[in-house]
Amino acid sequence: MKSDLVPPASVVLVSGGSRGLGLAIVTDLLTAGLKVAAFARTVTPELTALGEKYPDHLYYGAVDVNDAEAGQAFVRTVETTLGPIDGLVNNAAIGQDSLHVHTSPDQLARIIQTNLTSPLILTRFVIRRMLAKGLKGRIVNVTSICAQRGFPGLVAYSATKGGMDAATRSLARELGGRVLANAVAPGFFASEMSAVLGQTQLDQIVRRTPTGHLTEPDDVVPVVRMLLLENTNVNGQVLAVDGAASI
Amino acid sequence: MGEVMTAQGRNLPGDDSADLREIGFRSLDFSELALRVEDELGDELNFDAPGLRRIATVGDVLDFIEQLQSA
Repeated sequence: MKSDLVPPASVVLVSGGSRGLGLAIVTDLLTAGLKVAAFARTVTPELTALGEKYPDHLYYGAVDVNDAEAGQAFVRTVETTLGPIDGLVNNAAIGQDSLHVHTSPDQLARIIQTNLTSPLILTRFVIRRMLAKGLKGRIVNVTSICAQRGFPGLVAYSATKGGMDAATRSLARELGGRVLANAVAPGFFASEMSAVLGQTQLDQIVRRTPTGHLTEPDDVVPVVRMLLLENTNVNGQVLAVDGAASI
Repeated sequence: MGEVMTAQGRNLPGDDSADLREIGFRSLDFSELALRVEDELGDELNFDAPGLRRIATVGDVLDFIEQLQSA
Protein backbone atom coordinates (compact mmCIF):
# COMPACT_ATOMS: atom_id res chain seq x y z
CA MET A 1 0.00 0.00 0.00
CA LYS A 2 2.89 2.35 0.82
CA SER A 3 4.06 2.23 -2.81
CA ASP A 4 0.78 3.86 -3.82
CA LEU A 5 1.68 7.00 -1.89
CA VAL A 6 2.84 10.06 -3.78
CA PRO A 7 6.35 10.69 -2.45
CA PRO A 8 7.40 14.09 -1.14
CA ALA A 9 8.43 16.47 -3.89
CA SER A 10 12.17 16.79 -4.41
CA VAL A 11 12.46 19.26 -7.30
CA VAL A 12 9.86 22.03 -7.18
CA LEU A 13 9.10 24.66 -9.79
CA VAL A 14 7.69 27.92 -8.41
CA SER A 15 6.25 30.44 -10.84
CA GLY A 16 6.35 34.06 -9.74
CA GLY A 17 9.12 33.20 -7.29
CA SER A 18 11.02 36.47 -7.18
CA ARG A 19 9.12 38.43 -4.55
CA GLY A 20 6.36 38.32 -1.97
CA LEU A 21 4.77 34.97 -1.27
CA GLY A 22 6.57 33.27 -4.17
CA LEU A 23 9.97 34.32 -2.84
CA ALA A 24 8.98 33.18 0.66
CA ILE A 25 7.97 29.77 -0.71
CA VAL A 26 11.26 29.44 -2.61
CA THR A 27 13.25 30.40 0.49
CA ASP A 28 11.36 27.97 2.69
CA LEU A 29 11.75 25.03 0.31
CA LEU A 30 15.47 25.69 -0.06
CA THR A 31 15.80 25.80 3.72
CA ALA A 32 14.01 22.45 3.83
CA GLY A 33 16.72 21.02 1.56
CA LEU A 34 14.71 20.76 -1.67
CA LYS A 35 15.90 21.66 -5.12
CA VAL A 36 13.92 24.62 -6.37
CA ALA A 37 13.46 26.27 -9.74
CA ALA A 38 11.91 29.71 -9.82
CA PHE A 39 10.98 32.08 -12.56
CA ALA A 40 9.35 35.47 -12.71
CA ARG A 41 9.07 38.30 -15.19
CA THR A 42 11.88 40.05 -13.38
CA VAL A 43 14.63 38.49 -11.31
CA THR A 44 14.96 40.48 -8.08
CA PRO A 45 18.11 41.04 -6.01
CA GLU A 46 16.54 38.86 -3.31
CA LEU A 47 16.23 35.90 -5.68
CA THR A 48 19.75 36.47 -6.97
CA ALA A 49 21.02 36.43 -3.39
CA LEU A 50 19.29 33.10 -2.80
CA GLY A 51 20.93 31.78 -5.94
CA GLU A 52 24.33 32.73 -4.54
CA LYS A 53 23.51 31.09 -1.20
CA TYR A 54 22.17 27.87 -2.74
CA PRO A 55 24.05 27.53 -6.04
CA ASP A 56 23.45 23.78 -6.33
CA HIS A 57 19.83 23.81 -5.21
CA LEU A 58 18.31 26.86 -6.89
CA TYR A 59 17.90 27.47 -10.59
CA TYR A 60 16.17 30.71 -11.57
CA GLY A 61 15.55 32.92 -14.52
CA ALA A 62 13.45 35.69 -16.04
CA VAL A 63 10.46 34.16 -17.78
CA ASP A 64 7.03 35.65 -18.38
CA VAL A 65 4.44 33.02 -17.45
CA ASN A 66 2.49 34.09 -20.54
CA ASP A 67 5.35 33.02 -22.79
CA ALA A 68 4.57 29.30 -22.97
CA GLU A 69 7.53 28.51 -25.17
CA ALA A 70 9.97 30.18 -22.79
CA GLY A 71 8.30 28.46 -19.84
CA GLN A 72 8.68 25.05 -21.46
CA ALA A 73 12.31 25.74 -22.34
CA PHE A 74 12.87 26.74 -18.70
CA VAL A 75 11.32 23.44 -17.52
CA ARG A 76 13.61 21.45 -19.81
CA THR A 77 16.67 23.32 -18.53
CA VAL A 78 15.58 22.70 -14.94
CA GLU A 79 15.35 18.99 -15.68
CA THR A 80 18.92 18.87 -16.89
CA THR A 81 20.19 21.16 -14.13
CA LEU A 82 18.32 19.96 -11.03
CA GLY A 83 16.55 16.80 -12.16
CA PRO A 84 12.96 15.92 -13.14
CA ILE A 85 10.35 18.23 -11.65
CA ASP A 86 7.96 16.47 -9.28
CA GLY A 87 6.44 19.52 -7.63
CA LEU A 88 4.81 22.61 -9.10
CA VAL A 89 3.64 25.75 -7.31
CA ASN A 90 1.53 27.95 -9.57
CA ASN A 91 2.02 31.28 -7.86
CA ALA A 92 2.53 33.82 -10.64
CA ALA A 93 -0.43 36.17 -10.96
CA ILE A 94 -1.36 39.76 -11.54
CA GLY A 95 -3.76 41.74 -9.41
CA GLN A 96 -6.60 44.02 -10.25
CA ASP A 97 -7.74 47.37 -8.95
CA SER A 98 -10.65 48.42 -11.12
CA LEU A 99 -14.38 48.11 -11.10
CA HIS A 100 -15.61 45.70 -13.74
CA VAL A 101 -17.34 48.42 -15.73
CA HIS A 102 -14.07 50.33 -15.91
CA THR A 103 -11.84 47.40 -16.82
CA SER A 104 -11.03 47.30 -20.50
CA PRO A 105 -11.60 44.08 -22.44
CA ASP A 106 -7.85 43.97 -23.10
CA GLN A 107 -7.12 44.17 -19.38
CA LEU A 108 -9.72 41.45 -18.68
CA ALA A 109 -8.05 39.22 -21.23
CA ARG A 110 -4.63 39.92 -19.71
CA ILE A 111 -5.79 38.98 -16.21
CA ILE A 112 -7.42 35.78 -17.46
CA GLN A 113 -4.38 34.88 -19.56
CA THR A 114 -1.90 35.44 -16.72
CA ASN A 115 -3.89 34.02 -13.82
CA LEU A 116 -5.78 31.17 -15.47
CA THR A 117 -4.76 30.20 -19.00
CA SER A 118 -0.99 30.38 -18.51
CA PRO A 119 -0.95 28.40 -15.25
CA LEU A 120 -3.09 25.72 -16.89
CA ILE A 121 -0.69 25.53 -19.84
CA LEU A 122 2.32 25.32 -17.52
CA THR A 123 0.57 22.68 -15.42
CA ARG A 124 -0.26 20.68 -18.53
CA PHE A 125 3.35 20.73 -19.62
CA VAL A 126 4.78 19.79 -16.23
CA ILE A 127 2.29 16.93 -15.82
CA ARG A 128 3.13 15.65 -19.29
CA ARG A 129 6.80 15.57 -18.33
CA MET A 130 5.98 13.78 -15.08
CA LEU A 131 3.83 11.16 -16.75
CA ALA A 132 6.29 10.59 -19.59
CA LYS A 133 8.94 9.81 -16.99
CA GLY A 134 6.62 7.59 -14.96
CA LEU A 135 6.83 10.00 -12.02
CA LYS A 136 4.34 10.91 -9.35
CA GLY A 137 4.11 14.49 -8.23
CA ARG A 138 2.40 17.29 -6.41
CA ILE A 139 0.80 20.53 -7.53
CA VAL A 140 -0.08 23.49 -5.35
CA ASN A 141 -2.06 26.31 -6.88
CA VAL A 142 -1.93 29.61 -5.04
CA THR A 143 -5.40 31.05 -5.41
CA SER A 144 -7.19 33.52 -3.19
CA ILE A 145 -9.99 33.94 -0.77
CA CYS A 146 -11.46 36.15 -3.50
CA ALA A 147 -12.49 32.94 -5.25
CA GLN A 148 -14.92 32.23 -2.46
CA ARG A 149 -16.01 35.69 -1.30
CA GLY A 150 -16.87 38.78 -3.27
CA PHE A 151 -14.79 41.95 -3.22
CA PRO A 152 -15.34 45.08 -5.31
CA GLY A 153 -12.67 45.85 -7.87
CA LEU A 154 -11.60 42.24 -8.21
CA VAL A 155 -14.17 40.73 -10.56
CA ALA A 156 -11.83 39.27 -13.18
CA TYR A 157 -9.15 38.43 -10.61
CA SER A 158 -11.71 36.54 -8.52
CA ALA A 159 -12.99 34.71 -11.58
CA THR A 160 -9.49 33.47 -12.42
CA LYS A 161 -8.83 32.32 -8.88
CA GLY A 162 -12.17 30.53 -8.77
CA GLY A 163 -11.22 28.93 -12.06
CA MET A 164 -7.97 27.65 -10.60
CA ASP A 165 -9.80 26.28 -7.55
CA ALA A 166 -12.16 24.42 -9.87
CA ALA A 167 -9.28 23.16 -12.01
CA THR A 168 -7.55 21.91 -8.85
CA ARG A 169 -10.49 19.67 -8.03
CA SER A 170 -10.73 18.26 -11.55
CA LEU A 171 -6.98 17.72 -11.73
CA ALA A 172 -7.11 15.72 -8.51
CA ARG A 173 -9.83 13.53 -10.03
CA GLU A 174 -8.21 13.24 -13.44
CA LEU A 175 -4.76 12.41 -12.15
CA GLY A 176 -6.01 9.44 -10.20
CA GLY A 177 -3.84 9.88 -7.14
CA ARG A 178 -0.69 9.89 -9.20
CA VAL A 179 -0.39 13.62 -8.74
CA LEU A 180 -1.81 15.32 -5.66
CA ALA A 181 -3.35 18.64 -6.65
CA ASN A 182 -4.37 21.19 -4.06
CA ALA A 183 -4.85 24.91 -3.75
CA VAL A 184 -3.98 27.36 -1.02
CA ALA A 185 -6.23 30.40 -0.80
CA PRO A 186 -4.61 33.17 1.20
CA GLY A 187 -6.59 36.07 2.59
CA PHE A 188 -5.48 39.59 1.86
CA PHE A 189 -1.79 40.24 2.40
CA ALA A 190 -0.79 43.38 4.21
CA SER A 191 1.44 44.20 1.28
CA GLU A 192 1.42 43.77 -2.47
CA MET A 193 -2.06 42.69 -3.59
CA SER A 194 -3.57 44.64 -0.71
CA ALA A 195 -1.95 47.78 -2.01
CA VAL A 196 -4.92 47.89 -4.35
CA LEU A 197 -7.33 48.16 -1.44
CA GLY A 198 -8.01 51.40 0.37
CA GLN A 199 -7.16 51.78 4.08
CA THR A 200 -10.85 51.71 4.95
CA GLN A 201 -11.26 48.37 3.22
CA LEU A 202 -8.15 46.98 4.91
CA ASP A 203 -9.31 48.16 8.34
CA GLN A 204 -12.68 46.56 7.72
CA ILE A 205 -11.10 43.24 6.78
CA VAL A 206 -8.88 43.28 9.90
CA ARG A 207 -11.87 44.06 12.14
CA ARG A 208 -13.77 41.13 10.71
CA THR A 209 -10.87 38.69 10.99
CA PRO A 210 -11.04 36.61 14.17
CA THR A 211 -7.24 36.41 14.40
CA GLY A 212 -7.08 40.20 14.09
CA HIS A 213 -4.47 40.45 11.40
CA LEU A 214 -4.10 40.25 7.67
CA THR A 215 -2.41 37.23 6.11
CA GLU A 216 1.38 37.21 5.92
CA PRO A 217 3.48 35.03 3.62
CA ASP A 218 4.80 33.27 6.72
CA ASP A 219 1.25 32.07 7.43
CA VAL A 220 0.96 30.46 4.00
CA VAL A 221 4.42 28.99 3.51
CA PRO A 222 4.03 26.08 5.99
CA VAL A 223 0.79 25.03 4.30
CA VAL A 224 2.44 24.96 0.87
CA ARG A 225 5.35 22.98 2.32
CA MET A 226 2.95 20.50 3.93
CA LEU A 227 1.13 19.93 0.65
CA LEU A 228 4.42 19.35 -1.17
CA LEU A 229 6.10 17.14 1.39
CA GLU A 230 3.76 15.45 3.84
CA ASN A 231 1.68 12.31 3.40
CA THR A 232 -1.73 13.58 4.42
CA ASN A 233 -4.03 12.22 1.70
CA VAL A 234 -5.20 15.81 1.16
CA ASN A 235 -6.11 16.01 -2.51
CA GLY A 236 -8.32 18.29 -4.58
CA GLN A 237 -8.79 20.70 -1.69
CA VAL A 238 -8.66 24.45 -1.35
CA LEU A 239 -7.14 25.42 2.00
CA ALA A 240 -8.02 28.95 3.05
CA VAL A 241 -5.37 30.75 5.08
CA ASP A 242 -7.11 33.91 6.19
CA GLY A 243 -7.60 33.80 9.94
CA ALA A 244 -11.25 32.85 9.41
CA ALA A 245 -12.02 36.21 7.85
CA SER A 246 -14.11 34.51 5.19
CA ILE A 247 -16.27 32.22 7.31
CA MET B 1 2.81 -0.73 -23.08
CA GLY B 2 4.98 -3.37 -21.50
CA GLU B 3 7.45 -0.70 -20.34
CA VAL B 4 4.72 1.30 -18.62
CA MET B 5 3.45 -1.76 -16.79
CA THR B 6 6.92 -2.99 -15.90
CA ALA B 7 7.74 0.42 -14.40
CA GLN B 8 4.80 -0.14 -12.07
CA GLY B 9 5.85 -3.66 -11.15
CA ARG B 10 3.28 -5.36 -13.34
CA ASN B 11 3.44 -7.51 -16.44
CA LEU B 12 1.80 -7.08 -19.80
CA PRO B 13 -0.32 -10.16 -20.57
CA GLY B 14 0.37 -11.90 -23.87
CA ASP B 15 -3.31 -12.04 -24.78
CA ASP B 16 -4.60 -9.03 -26.77
CA SER B 17 -8.09 -9.63 -25.44
CA ALA B 18 -6.98 -9.08 -21.82
CA ASP B 19 -9.34 -6.64 -20.08
CA LEU B 20 -7.58 -3.41 -19.07
CA ARG B 21 -9.57 -3.17 -15.84
CA GLU B 22 -8.50 -6.66 -14.85
CA ILE B 23 -4.82 -5.96 -15.44
CA GLY B 24 -5.00 -2.55 -13.73
CA PHE B 25 -4.15 -0.47 -16.80
CA ARG B 26 -5.88 2.85 -16.18
CA SER B 27 -6.48 5.89 -18.35
CA LEU B 28 -3.43 7.62 -16.85
CA ASP B 29 -1.32 4.62 -17.81
CA PHE B 30 -2.61 5.12 -21.33
CA SER B 31 -1.59 8.77 -21.15
CA GLU B 32 1.89 7.74 -20.01
CA LEU B 33 2.10 5.35 -22.96
CA ALA B 34 0.94 8.06 -25.39
CA LEU B 35 3.56 10.46 -24.01
CA ARG B 36 6.28 7.86 -24.50
CA VAL B 37 5.11 7.39 -28.09
CA GLU B 38 5.19 11.19 -28.50
CA ASP B 39 8.82 11.18 -27.43
CA GLU B 40 9.58 8.68 -30.17
CA LEU B 41 7.56 10.53 -32.81
CA GLY B 42 8.67 14.00 -31.73
CA ASP B 43 5.10 15.18 -32.16
CA GLU B 44 2.20 15.85 -29.82
CA LEU B 45 -0.66 13.36 -29.71
CA ASN B 46 -3.88 14.96 -28.55
CA PHE B 47 -7.21 13.15 -28.44
CA ASP B 48 -10.59 13.50 -26.75
CA ALA B 49 -11.76 11.46 -23.81
CA PRO B 50 -14.58 9.61 -25.67
CA GLY B 51 -12.01 7.84 -27.82
CA LEU B 52 -10.28 6.65 -24.69
CA ARG B 53 -13.48 5.39 -23.10
CA ARG B 54 -13.98 2.92 -25.94
CA ILE B 55 -10.67 1.25 -25.16
CA ALA B 56 -11.24 -1.87 -23.11
CA THR B 57 -8.56 -4.40 -24.00
CA VAL B 58 -4.84 -4.60 -24.60
CA GLY B 59 -5.56 -4.97 -28.31
CA ASP B 60 -7.67 -1.78 -28.27
CA VAL B 61 -4.73 0.13 -26.78
CA LEU B 62 -2.32 -1.12 -29.39
CA ASP B 63 -4.80 -0.37 -32.22
CA PHE B 64 -5.42 3.14 -30.89
CA ILE B 65 -1.72 3.91 -30.62
CA GLU B 66 -1.22 2.61 -34.15
CA GLN B 67 -4.00 4.90 -35.39
CA LEU B 68 -2.42 7.89 -33.64
CA GLN B 69 0.95 7.11 -35.14
CA SER B 70 -0.43 6.86 -38.65
CA ALA B 71 -2.72 9.91 -38.37
